[in-house]
Amino acid sequence: MSLTQDQISILMQLVAETTPDELDCTGCLDQLAEFAETHLAGRPLSDALAEVQIHMKNCPCCEHEFQSFLEALQGIADDAP
Amino acid sequence: MSAAHEDDGWVDRLRDPTQQPEALEQLRTLLLRGLRRAFLSKAGDDAFVEDVTQDALVRILDRLDQFEGRSRFTTWAMSIAVRLATSQLRRKHTQDISLDGLTGSNSLKIEFADDSAEKPSAGIERTSLLGKLQELIEDRLTDRQRWAIQALLNGVPIEEIARRTESNPNAVYKLVHDARARLKHGFEQAGYTADDLVGLSH
Repeated sequence: MSLTQDQISILMQLVAETTPDELDCTGCLDQLAEFAETHLAGRPLSDALAEVQIHMKNCPCCEHEFQSFLEALQGIADDAP
Repeated sequence: MSAAHEDDGWVDRLRDPTQQPEALEQLRTLLLRGLRRAFLSKAGDDAFVEDVTQDALVRILDRLDQFEGRSRFTTWAMSIAVRLATSQLRRKHTQDISLDGLTGSNSLKIEFADDSAEKPSAGIERTSLLGKLQELIEDRLTDRQRWAIQALLNGVPIEEIARRTESNPNAVYKLVHDARARLKHGFEQAGYTADDLVGLSH
């Protein structure tokens, strides 16, 4: 099995951004509600929420779920009276 | 630390047997709106959204004690619903993906593109870096780490890798994180910086 050029680029990016104590998926998703509200309000991230952001840069699954979450929240906001 | 949010009475109403039916119906309506917006086009089926909403209401009631007020109650509740919808949709979409083509491979070869004609010096640096990557993949990673990285780079979600290997997402994430850390350490020992690695990806 070979890696394509695109996959090599993604892998190198992931390796470059690796930090010793990254949040795992559970830790990330547990804070997603607070992270989303902070993100939508444009407020600065606390250290804990910055870890969520770092995790999502390295975890396409959590990032994808976050994007769906933002869409869902937008759905509530748009339909609010 | 952010201030705790008011829950607008949701928790009390959901715990009170006399108020619970109305509160549940209101929450159900809210979750349906959000899930339809985020998942209806992806699932292609309103029954999917209805089912997930029902499952989410059960889970939210089970977890009321875990609401800490770090966000609005409805945001927290929606995060649970989105979690469920995402998991079910991933399972549905990846159940036909075969990992068999990956399981027997321990080599994870790098393809070297011949870009030396465009910029000879950059080509040499790139070849050197890719050679180091190949060496580190072979020498520093375990078979499981090579396989997990390969699966991820082929677009298989962590959750699905965990399910297929009877593991859990955190364990898979840790496996891949440890692999990334070993590769980074190997590059650093060889004198490469993070900027060198990122430079290759552009």
